[in-house]
Amino acid sequence: MPYFESRLRLNLENFEEIKNKFAICEKLGIKNVIVEPVGDLKNNGVELREKIESLTKMHLYYRISLRPRNIDDLKSKLNINNKLPTILSIETPIKEIQIQAAKDSRVDVISFADPKTMKTLTTGVISLSKQNNSYIEISLASMMVVNKAQQSKNFRELYRIIHLVKNLKGNLLISGNFEDSYHLRHPRALISICHTLLGLSIIEAKQSFNENVKKLIERTLDRYDRNIIEYGIKFIKGGE
Amino acid sequence: MNIVRNERNRYILFKIIHEGYLSLEHSDILKSIWKSIWRFFGMKEANKIGLWVIEIDLENEFGLIRCAHQTKEIIITALSLITEINGNKIILSPVKTSGTIKSIKNYIIFKKT
Repeated sequence: MPYFESRLRLNLENFEEIKNKFAICEKLGIKNVIVEPVGDLKNNGVELREKIESLTKMHLYYRISLRPRNIDDLKSKLNINNKLPTILSIETPIKEIQIQAAKDSRVDVISFADPKTMKTLTTGVISLSKQNNSYIEISLASMMVVNKAQQSKNFRELYRIIHLVKNLKGNLLISGNFEDSYHLRHPRALISICHTLLGLSIIEAKQSFNENVKKLIERTLDRYDRNIIEYGIKFIKGGE
Repeated sequence: MNIVRNERNRYILFKIIHEGYLSLEHSDILKSIWKSIWRFFGMKEANKIGLWVIEIDLENEFGLIRCAHQTKEIIITALSLITEINGNKIILSPVKTSGTIKSIKNYIIFKKT
């Protein structure tokens, strides 16, 4: 069963580091990765993607994370027309922006990556994202902290937020999002962590690493498909 | 009549991925696995595990351990949460689990060839 690493940040100014990350992912046996290029995105086009894809044999998908300062900023950033299929995620600790993002059908993922942002998740955002078929993303990067007291706090926050989304039957996406190459883990290992330490059943954890990610990618590709008018409405035979 | 069944075993094959030259002994890896089990699960789970190191091949970068079948996920978690041993950055990544040692040995031979 192909699992996904839903967030791998790539620093575009350091291609050696990117190579190293890809090499470790391949050693771990990861086959599908959603990468998030970070840095100078002016040349975020076909050439850049070809360059990144030449470094690995894994299946790569792309995402960008927006960090808007206010609602107007969010609206202006969402108007940027990306010609290539890209998953759009919003990461912010401001509740009003989270709600606006959850209402917007262009937003695929509302991300809660660091513990400070996790504290701001509300039931309203989960409910709105469910209505819009978008996803709530939780990152496991904070569990790799060396300090025991901090690690236990981070685990508590992860546990709380995961069960909040689970109880409201929200669309949950769990990603690694590890900064250090040696913190990267195979998604199957992360499933075990979610099961043993975060109280998810194996089936629920697998869903967050596999089925939900597949649905997210399909949703993004559909948005770029001219034959699909909106969710559930599609021209057949190219509209002939 | 209640049938009392013997506890079944699971064999877990894991990859050792490390940075640069690795100067470790088998006991260091075993100690760090136990340390990880104690840190994240404590006595309540540690007494159920039945951990046994069968083989650690630092040259070919893999290890093989045995545990009770009910604690397989705990061992996978404990292995995954190890980030360094003796100051060496390391990843112990579970590759395959099996109920018999024969099939896992076959898998190792298959991967080597």
